[in-house]
Amino acid sequence: MTRYVMVADLRRCVGCQTCTAACKEGNATPPGVQWRRVLDIERGTYPDVQRVFLPVGCQHCDDPPCMEVCPTTATRQRADGIVTIDETLCIGCSYCIMACPYDARSLTGAAAYAFGNEPIVSEAQRGTRPAGLATKCDFCAARIDAGVARGLVPGRDPAASPLCVNACISGALSFGDRDDAEGPVARLLAENRWFRLHEEEGTGPGFYYLWDREAP
Amino acid sequence: MSGTRGGRRQRQWDLRAAGNFIGGGSGAGLLLAAALEGITGGTFRLTLALGLLLIGAGLGLVWLEIGRPWRALNVFFHPRTSWMTREGIMALLLFPLGLAAVATGSAALAAAAALAGLAFLGCQAGILHAARAIPAWRKPELVALIVAGGLAEGTGLALVVAESARWPVLLALAAGAAREVAWRRYRVALGRDGRTAPALAAFTAGPARLARLGQVASLVLLAVGAALPPAFGPMGPVLAGVGGVLAFLGGAAIKAVLVTRAGYTGKLTLPAVPVRGGGGPARQAAAR
Amino acid sequence: MNAAARRSVPSFCYNCVAGPDLMRVGVEDGIAVRIEPDERAAAIHPGLGRVCVKAFGLIQKTYNPHRVLQPMKRTNPRKGRDEDPGFVAISWDEALDTIAQRLRDIRGRGLLDEAGLPRLAATFGHGGTPQSYMGTFPAFLSAWGAIDYSFGSGQGVKCVHSEHLYGEFWHRAFTVTADTVHTRYLISCGNNAEVSGGVCAVRRHADARLRGIRRVQVEPHLSPTGACSAEWVPIRPKTDAAFLLALVHVLLHEAARERLDLGFLRERTASPYLVGPDGYYLRETASGKPLIFDSLAGRAVAHDTPGALPTLEGAITVGEAVTHGPDGEVTPWRDVAARTAFAVMADSLKPYTPEWAGAICDIAPATIRRIGQDYLDHACIGETIVVDGETLPFRPVAVTLGKTVNNGWGAYECCWARTMLAVLVGALEVPGGTLGTTVRLNKPHENRLKSVVPGEDGFMAAHFNATRSGEWAARPTGRNAHRSLVPIVGNSPWAQALGPTHLAWMFATDAPKEWPEPPPPEMWFAFRTNPAISFWDTQRIVGTMGRIGFIVAFAYTMDETNHMADILLPDATDLESTQLIRVGGTKYIEQHWDHQGFALRAPAVAPRGEARDFTWIATELARRAGLIERYNAALNRGAAGAPLAGEGFDFSLATDVAHDTETIWDAVCKAASTALSGGGETHDLAWFREHGHHVVPFRREDWYLTPTMARLGLRYELPYQERLLRTGQELGRRLHEQGIHWWDEQLGEYMPIPVWHDVPARWERAVRAAGADPAAYPLWGITTKTMPYTTGNNAGIPLMAEVGRNLRGQGCVVVNATTAAALGIAEGDWVEVRSVTGTTRGRAALVQGCRPDTVVIPGQFEHWKTPVAKDLAWPSLNPLVPLSLALTDATGSGADVVRVALARCAPPAETLA
Repeated sequence: MTRYVMVADLRRCVGCQTCTAACKEGNATPPGVQWRRVLDIERGTYPDVQRVFLPVGCQHCDDPPCMEVCPTTATRQRADGIVTIDETLCIGCSYCIMACPYDARSLTGAAAYAFGNEPIVSEAQRGTRPAGLATKCDFCAARIDAGVARGLVPGRDPAASPLCVNACISGALSFGDRDDAEGPVARLLAENRWFRLHEEEGTGPGFYYLWDREAP
Repeated sequence: MSGTRGGRRQRQWDLRAAGNFIGGGSGAGLLLAAALEGITGGTFRLTLALGLLLIGAGLGLVWLEIGRPWRALNVFFHPRTSWMTREGIMALLLFPLGLAAVATGSAALAAAAALAGLAFLGCQAGILHAARAIPAWRKPELVALIVAGGLAEGTGLALVVAESARWPVLLALAAGAAREVAWRRYRVALGRDGRTAPALAAFTAGPARLARLGQVASLVLLAVGAALPPAFGPMGPVLAGVGGVLAFLGGAAIKAVLVTRAGYTGKLTLPAVPVRGGGGPARQAAAR
Repeated sequence: MNAAARRSVPSFCYNCVAGPDLMRVGVEDGIAVRIEPDERAAAIHPGLGRVCVKAFGLIQKTYNPHRVLQPMKRTNPRKGRDEDPGFVAISWDEALDTIAQRLRDIRGRGLLDEAGLPRLAATFGHGGTPQSYMGTFPAFLSAWGAIDYSFGSGQGVKCVHSEHLYGEFWHRAFTVTADTVHTRYLISCGNNAEVSGGVCAVRRHADARLRGIRRVQVEPHLSPTGACSAEWVPIRPKTDAAFLLALVHVLLHEAARERLDLGFLRERTASPYLVGPDGYYLRETASGKPLIFDSLAGRAVAHDTPGALPTLEGAITVGEAVTHGPDGEVTPWRDVAARTAFAVMADSLKPYTPEWAGAICDIAPATIRRIGQDYLDHACIGETIVVDGETLPFRPVAVTLGKTVNNGWGAYECCWARTMLAVLVGALEVPGGTLGTTVRLNKPHENRLKSVVPGEDGFMAAHFNATRSGEWAARPTGRNAHRSLVPIVGNSPWAQALGPTHLAWMFATDAPKEWPEPPPPEMWFAFRTNPAISFWDTQRIVGTMGRIGFIVAFAYTMDETNHMADILLPDATDLESTQLIRVGGTKYIEQHWDHQGFALRAPAVAPRGEARDFTWIATELARRAGLIERYNAALNRGAAGAPLAGEGFDFSLATDVAHDTETIWDAVCKAASTALSGGGETHDLAWFREHGHHVVPFRREDWYLTPTMARLGLRYELPYQERLLRTGQELGRRLHEQGIHWWDEQLGEYMPIPVWHDVPARWERAVRAAGADPAAYPLWGITTKTMPYTTGNNAGIPLMAEVGRNLRGQGCVVVNATTAAALGIAEGDWVEVRSVTGTTRGRAALVQGCRPDTVVIPGQFEHWKTPVAKDLAWPSLNPLVPLSLALTDATGSGADVVRVALARCAPPAETLA
């Protein structure tokens, strides 16, 4: 089986938002819609304070709450674990937004552009994402599929990997098949201590956060 | 600060969505009242029609809210797990039954419509309960509140249109009392959970307080209205009617607050902080 | 879309000095739609062919609807913030002819005005990066001759100024870095590698964290770099010098001598040089060479005596010697008691205990002591490492400094103490230690090792501006008087722009009475610079700008500076233009590559509107101004980045005709690749367009200067600063001879061993001097960077605002939550920050990661003209900071720090709705 997951090494992440920008540009998301972003979180009280940069986005859960509530079946889960939205089915009811504990979904509003009401040349070229639909990270599924079709390995070959992973300047983001025991992602998970978000929800997120090396 | 990121108020569902819960709840209550009127041999058509109107208005408001209204029929595609689909199916069921009951005056059809209405109301409670992003909606106690609330609002409103009788007032009073119990249980549940503090704050702010005052006043008025002997003439029914309207308004306002102001996403809590480099306080903090 | 319509064009991003970094531009149907990492460069680029968030703004930058896309001229002769310039579109011919006519007129009257100052001035923005976008304009500037570069846009006050000057003086380190790939213990005083270190630094530090580096971030607020460190030490602003001096104290006085790298101190530094009673080196009478005490011979001998084993400490008497004082004064000495430079330092540092520093810095003395001891514990003295087959010392400890620490008052002390921390354990310019990166005041720029040539007294040659009587520049030669006031900056092409650039703005309206009134320049070229918002006391700067005769601004959009211009020229921007630049080797910040070579920026898309390639503009200006032969000659000499002729090749351009852009860059590409490969490979413009870059291996050993110093038998000019002492005394005499006493405070900084003075008190005195009560300004105001906005002129790019807002404090006034509570300020409240100079307003961002006595305002905003940026309504520290001689140090540097008051305020009218 293939189970694609994202791994974010919090020891590496510097909160630079390069992944955010690369995702926005590569996926042509409208202003205000961020499939990938990095949260900037403080813990502690002065002067004993930590500041953590947390890349977030769709967690591609084993048991996606968004899929459960979606009345149209627009939200689906592929056999490789990627949770997708069928834009031809979605009615934009936003119920999935209410159901996602990870705040990973947005509703595209009326056409919006970087500089105001008119698209700039590059936005016109890319076209706008259809308005009134739920939208979120899909692990760049189209890139993965195209890459796999060419015999490339997601997570190893950039042409078959999510844009945020390719762009990440600190090397914090890794992607790949968790079930490939020899693959980089499985190795990272085996060699490091990690957590997932909202584990108590039982959603089984496909997004792992490394925070320390595994005790020897 | 505790390594958490505070909740964000959801802004996708606005008063239009709240309107669905208001209309759907009170409509279901009206359907119940109408069915009981029918069973007791009274005229129920106006009550039933009003219930259908409110449910329809609520659904209409939602239709105005969704991003792709012309695809609204897609809502029926996922009955297996989606309470929204189920709500839609119940609506599909209750409208023909209700309209037929209005058309024919059949008490049996009215009763069937009321049963569908109750199921519809249950689906609405399920919708909120399944919204895992919003801890304040996840509370099991909210399910009881939504159901009891809908019944209180609808049976209260029914007093305005129903023929004057004593039992509808008692019914509204009972529903109102049930809502009161459900509300208190819900409040307690919110207070027990740190994640729902912003929701609790929304429920203790001015508008919610006013709504609650209306709810309590409605109980008093209903009780007095029910208790007043016929010697007082129309005084009893009038007081009960005002109480019924207050029961509706108070409930509607609380739902508006619930949907638009108390819908905070949960806090994000980090189970650990990253160990950045060797031997520093980061490792010690992470170990704590 | 077919493959032909979809292209991926190799390019580079050099929007910040931490670049250049290689990338590609995704083009569809002739339209640039995305920035892509250059995966094919992953093997040679330390950042794996990736670029930071800023580069992703280049698409919006290209298609920004607010771009100036045709030449324009001003029709309203009155200049001022509130004057509408009345720009109207004109043809390129009219624009260029207008400029050329003025240039010819100026040339006809002479390059210098009656005060001896260049009539033509030019300002380029951040860190020399505009030069990588101005095509062959450097050839035009070279062809012209004398130009005043002193009107800065932040240089000297917004850079790491003192590090530039002292770093390059001591170890050819225009900027200083840790050898992060090897370092195990790193003390970072405000260095913000994770934000402004570029992709190479971010990657190196991330790798180091996983390797287990222990980095201690010493900074008043918890920056991303502090966040990513093992420990955060919140230090009181501007007290870093005390902290660092105390660390030196710990090494000198709380550790056994043998724990220091005594061999390094004896052989590679001036530690054993003998200092006479007058503070100057005792020298051999005949040769003038500084003396050391040879413990084997039991007597003082010249420093370069073969076989001598110098004494570092102890009572020493010298029979006969001379000292060389200021102005060639020679003082003879007999049977004189001497101390080694090392001993002088040790004695001088004795009072600076952790307890002493703790009270100044608001840091527990035990913490300071622990950091000093940890540093020593990690120094690995005696260990070696093999690099490129050479066995080198391995000293994996380093100290880096950040902006505001290494500029302005106190920076000299910080730079000295930082370098001494490296010297004491032999960690200067060796694997794991504290390294320089590149040179800008010395030549050649592309190879700092080659800039090391033997000078006086066993040290590298230094190129100070003369201070001796008769040699000193008694009248300023530029409007910031860099040659007259700042000897250490020298007079290389970069020197003037590194002089006290705020003095040019200050003297324009408030000139010293002892010197001729500096007339404003008759013409000013401005490119990729916006001093109207990026300098201090911005209102005053804008006023001064209005006095400049004729301003030619290369304009991207309208902005606060080109609002004052007379002609706007739209240049082709990053994705539209051609230029070949050097990459790799060792370059600024943390660009340490295992390769070096050249990368081409080729047009990914056609220029928009009438924007023209900068090379075309430069050539046309040269042609129309009658400078084409000199311009071409400059190109042939290498003004476009590589000499066009060399050993075994000649791609020189004919000098008598104007060449088109492609011809010029084709020649540069061929010459650069031929020279790089030693004649092995010649690649033309077409080849570079396809392949993007051409590199050859760069020896890692060449990251380190110490092997070169050892080969040449040279010593680092540390710890004792005899040269600075003499220079300061001479400069003082020269200034006093002219009756100038307004630089006396600065003269006090010429200390042979730095002595602490109350640095932060200077800012309180500045409040008092402005007639205000320091108690009314109880907080420190400082600034910090965030990656989307650190350089790159990105304030008008909406994508940066959107992603930047994910960072806490972006666009806000960052306040400690407890301080805010005491002032009744809640998260998101509008607040006003006030200094004696100005005010700024913004929303409050409440954090725990900030000292209670400090507020932080990220970035430089308060735009009033730049589209998009002017609607942000974000605060800026710049209007709060005074342009002040009293707050200018001896290197001509100031610091981004000011005493402020904080209070809630009403929201601006437009946000009320």
